[in-house]
Amino acid sequence: MSLLEIENVSKRFGGVQAVDDVSLHLDEGEILGIIGPNGAGKTTLFNLITGTIRSDTGKISLAGADITTTSPTKRARAGIGRTFQVVRPFLRMTVAENVMVPVLVHTHKVSEARNKAVALLEELGIGKLADLDVSQLTLAQRKRIEVARALATEPKVLLLDEVLAGLNNREVLDVLPFVNQVRARGISIIMIEHLVKALTSVSDRIIVLDQGTLIAQGKSDDVLKDPAVIKAYIGEEDNVEG
Amino acid sequence: MELLIQTLVAGVLLGGVYALVSVGLNLLFGVVRVINFAHGEFVMVGMYLAFWLWAGLGMDPYVSLLIVAPAMFLLGVIFQRGIIQPIQGTSANMKIFVTVGISIILQNLALFLWGGQYRTVSTSYSTSVFTLGGVTISVGRLIAFIGALVLVAALFYIMNRTMTGTVLRAIAEDGPTAVLVGIPVKKFYFVATGISVMLAGVAGVMLTPFTSASPTFGFHMTLIAFIVVVIGGMGSMVGSLVGGVLLGAIETLAGTYISPALQQAVLFAIFIIVVLVRPQGLFGKGAGTEEVGLK
Amino acid sequence: MKRSYLIIGVVVLALLAFLPLIIGQYLLNNAVLIVMFVGITVAWNIAAFGGALSLGHAAFFGLGSYTMAILLLDFGVNPWIGMLAGMVVAAGGGLLLSIPLLRLRGPFFTLASIAFAEVIRLVAVYARDFTGGSEGLTIPYAPGWLNMSFSDREPYYYIVLGLTAIAVLVSVWIYYSRVGYQLRASGSDDEATRALGVNTAVLKVVALVISAALTGAFGAFAAQYFFIVDPETNFSLNLYSIQPALNGIIGGAGTVLGPILGAVLMTPIGEYMRGAFAGQQGLNFMIYGVVLVGVVMLMPGGLVSGIEKLRARFRRKRGAGRRTDTTAALNESRTEDRL
Repeated sequence: MSLLEIENVSKRFGGVQAVDDVSLHLDEGEILGIIGPNGAGKTTLFNLITGTIRSDTGKISLAGADITTTSPTKRARAGIGRTFQVVRPFLRMTVAENVMVPVLVHTHKVSEARNKAVALLEELGIGKLADLDVSQLTLAQRKRIEVARALATEPKVLLLDEVLAGLNNREVLDVLPFVNQVRARGISIIMIEHLVKALTSVSDRIIVLDQGTLIAQGKSDDVLKDPAVIKAYIGEEDNVEG
Repeated sequence: MELLIQTLVAGVLLGGVYALVSVGLNLLFGVVRVINFAHGEFVMVGMYLAFWLWAGLGMDPYVSLLIVAPAMFLLGVIFQRGIIQPIQGTSANMKIFVTVGISIILQNLALFLWGGQYRTVSTSYSTSVFTLGGVTISVGRLIAFIGALVLVAALFYIMNRTMTGTVLRAIAEDGPTAVLVGIPVKKFYFVATGISVMLAGVAGVMLTPFTSASPTFGFHMTLIAFIVVVIGGMGSMVGSLVGGVLLGAIETLAGTYISPALQQAVLFAIFIIVVLVRPQGLFGKGAGTEEVGLK
Repeated sequence: MKRSYLIIGVVVLALLAFLPLIIGQYLLNNAVLIVMFVGITVAWNIAAFGGALSLGHAAFFGLGSYTMAILLLDFGVNPWIGMLAGMVVAAGGGLLLSIPLLRLRGPFFTLASIAFAEVIRLVAVYARDFTGGSEGLTIPYAPGWLNMSFSDREPYYYIVLGLTAIAVLVSVWIYYSRVGYQLRASGSDDEATRALGVNTAVLKVVALVISAALTGAFGAFAAQYFFIVDPETNFSLNLYSIQPALNGIIGGAGTVLGPILGAVLMTPIGEYMRGAFAGQQGLNFMIYGVVLVGVVMLMPGGLVSGIEKLRARFRRKRGAGRRTDTTAALNESRTEDRL
């Protein structure tokens, strides 16, 4: 049994079928990559998994339990964590305070929560940032805080939405090992990325979405040679080098 | 029974103007993504300008439109450049309080310049009526209603049949992509805000033959515009028409059958009820409805 | 950091306690008003922690005033108890307003809050038998601590100072508590907060209810201080809805010091303007509007954020030439990750 099972989910917005009968699964300890052109429905899929949007059809299960109609807050507590494409740190709060917010869900004492938050930040190698105001951080640092904050919810599944977006090559090399660190903590990951090379270097499997439909899935090498995938990406040759 | 029909008709005619006001609010939100708390004050500005031109130069309000309409468009452009543009990318709360602030400024500016007294314009047709099938209809209201319909239809035409309108709709539907595709979005914001403020001002002018101007009238119109949007649904022109007419009827009926002093209270009550019972309105689900919290 | 603020707070409170000994009755009246508005603004701000920018707090103020007055006049209930009852009724009002709070965002909630307050005000106007209608109710003069009624201003001053101190304490306590952090996160980004497993709805309602109850206490105080309760004043949109919101935003909404700063600054200015521009209607409020727009556009975090920025700039100038903690921290973390 997979950790996360998504069966035949669809979502329509007015005249647009954003996600069309998508099924996928995530096994424990896996890193699953999702690629696809803009507007393919990747973030919508994430929103369906986190519960921010209710799916029109289909079923979503986490560790065997049906969460199709569960609220986003409950899903977060059940173990689904996510980061956002455009980072959303809590402004006018320090880094440590940002990470404290999810910790406080289960740890009621403020000082204890702060200790746990700082400890997490140190484990991830960014402990020195703890007392800085988020507005003082670079984008790469904010991305890591965003991941740290999601990790503080002690998720079983972590959804990373373009965590490498907007980073230069050096910054990508900084942030990518993070992803492996996360897996090393026993968390399974689904990653949306446009940087296909970076994605294939960490993921076990890849799925490709195009206009709401899942057009391919499997090991990166196989998927990237799939003619349907190449067709979806025509004109963006440097992405399909595998 | 006759009173009922008469009141109903008067209300429906008034509702046409309400629809026009609400359409302007809708446009601004749809394209520029700002809910203008000061929208009603722009209606009031139009009224005062018409009054001023009438009192000073004896100009009939509909003639003064030749001056007031372009002036209001210009005011809209200035409003966009000076106030809206700087806050467009910021948090929703900032947008609220800036426009609340503008509302306070305009309201009190009117109070300061013209005092709290009601200012009335009386034209040759201010009190004229004609009877149709036993029902007395105010000429001023009828002209305003027709004018409002014409303008709403004109806006509909512009939005759906011209290049400008198509671009505006594109921006409303997907702002970021519009930027990517190379549309000079900033310039079109000026157009949207200009039209929005202009429509508000024009609505105000059309109200003057049969309504008195006062500093608090602006808030009254903002309330009405908001309610029409909530009833008719954000982003729906048809919704604005239906909502406007409905609200005009309800308000006028309340004025006659309950009490003029409680008219606004009835509006407030309607707002609260609709918002609790059916926030997306009758035709809701236009772009941005969820953003704004109307689900 | 928290410790030093506590000490400063106690010192300020002590100084304020000695104020009546220095100034006369006339200035003491101003002092009462300023302290009261600080209290009302701080109370308003508690709802703002969670991102609720209400323009309907006059409802809670008036509910507090009328509850106290009606209980006293019709049922002979002691004013102190009446104040507590006023807080409860105001809290109930807060619960009511929570319904639109949870359903609406942005300007629609703001408008709903205005509508809410206005409807309640009109109830006060039209339920003549109960509330005395437009003329309102008069509180009898019956001096004594038990009756919360005095001939001098000093006791009133101490009572309102006490209430405000309580409001500030509650505000600080919430700010640094578990609820506070989650509320502030919710106020900053509600969706992201919910995605972290926090039940923001409950928090927002709690904040609004507390905010309402505290505001109601000041309303009850006002009934006793002014000896009269009427719909136009006690449910005044300008005085008790817009003023606190303005003060809070100008000072820095959602912070601890912001409302205090904002009220301390704007209340005397407002009083002064009202006197200076007595002849010209609307001028003082227009200036308020200009200040509001100016502050929101230039210093969105209010005076508090402006001060923070100045301090940061000052610190940077002093630290020029040697590495500050910030830069060191940033550089170190980068190297660590690469290894």
